[in-house]
Amino acid sequence: MPISVMIVDDSAVMRGFIRRVLTLAGFEVSECLEASNGEEALTGLEGHSVDVILTDINMPKMNGEELLRRLEMDARLRSVPTLVISTDATKARILKMLSLGAQGYITKPFSPEALREELERVLGEKYA
Amino acid sequence: MPEQLQSAPRTDGVTGFGAIVVRVAAQVLETMFFEEAVATACEHAWLPTAVTVHVSFEGSHRGEFLLSVAPDTARSIAAGFLGLDPEELTGTQAAEVILELANILCGALMSTLWPESALSLDTPELASAEHAFLGSMHCCFTLPDGMVAVSIGVSDGDGAA
Repeated sequence: MPISVMIVDDSAVMRGFIRRVLTLAGFEVSECLEASNGEEALTGLEGHSVDVILTDINMPKMNGEELLRRLEMDARLRSVPTLVISTDATKARILKMLSLGAQGYITKPFSPEALREELERVLGEKYA
Repeated sequence: MPEQLQSAPRTDGVTGFGAIVVRVAAQVLETMFFEEAVATACEHAWLPTAVTVHVSFEGSHRGEFLLSVAPDTARSIAAGFLGLDPEELTGTQAAEVILELANILCGALMSTLWPESALSLDTPELASAEHAFLGSMHCCFTLPDGMVAVSIGVSDGDGAA
């Protein structure tokens, strides 16, 4: 089943890598929105609905923590699953992001298989 | 720059710090950059032309991380990361991928060297190769298309020994 995604990362090459890995992992991506920070992501999501949001944490203007807070405050967007992708592997950080509403967390480096497993868990089996 | 970071480089081979760097660098390069890295004896004639990236970190430990990549290796790594032919790459794309590699590698090393420590990493920046030896801990690798060098200098921090 095709999925639509929003990729939020301040690195253009990282966004390109995630886009590529989604395909390598076997996902059919029907729509791929991109943003370089949380602010841009919220603007991009105003007129769009996506199946999942993949977000970095450390970004300028609006970081991943604030993005999660804003998503939780939005009646329409709070139901969109969010997967955090970060280099920070500490339990404290992972628990913090999950407590803010993230449904999944994956640390860099990650393989296409690892991303697939975590996305399938977050999205549910219907997208497998 | 902290005075401690200006000390002469030391190569630890494949024990201690060296073993951790070898393992983490190999994992990062193979998992996300599709390159095989093998630890090797230091040889630094290529460093003046290298793409060098500097990352500062602070928190429970404070210091600096340096990654140097030979130009051809940088293009090969960037091509693997983006799924492009090396000929298709722009210099900007190659540099951005090496900045991202430095960010991921530094983060993964911090997580392995000091798990559960509160550390924040500054934004990676391109640096001069003359700073490539600032660290007291240093390792070199060979990849199919050339060389990579990693250095970490630790000065102090909230909880550093």
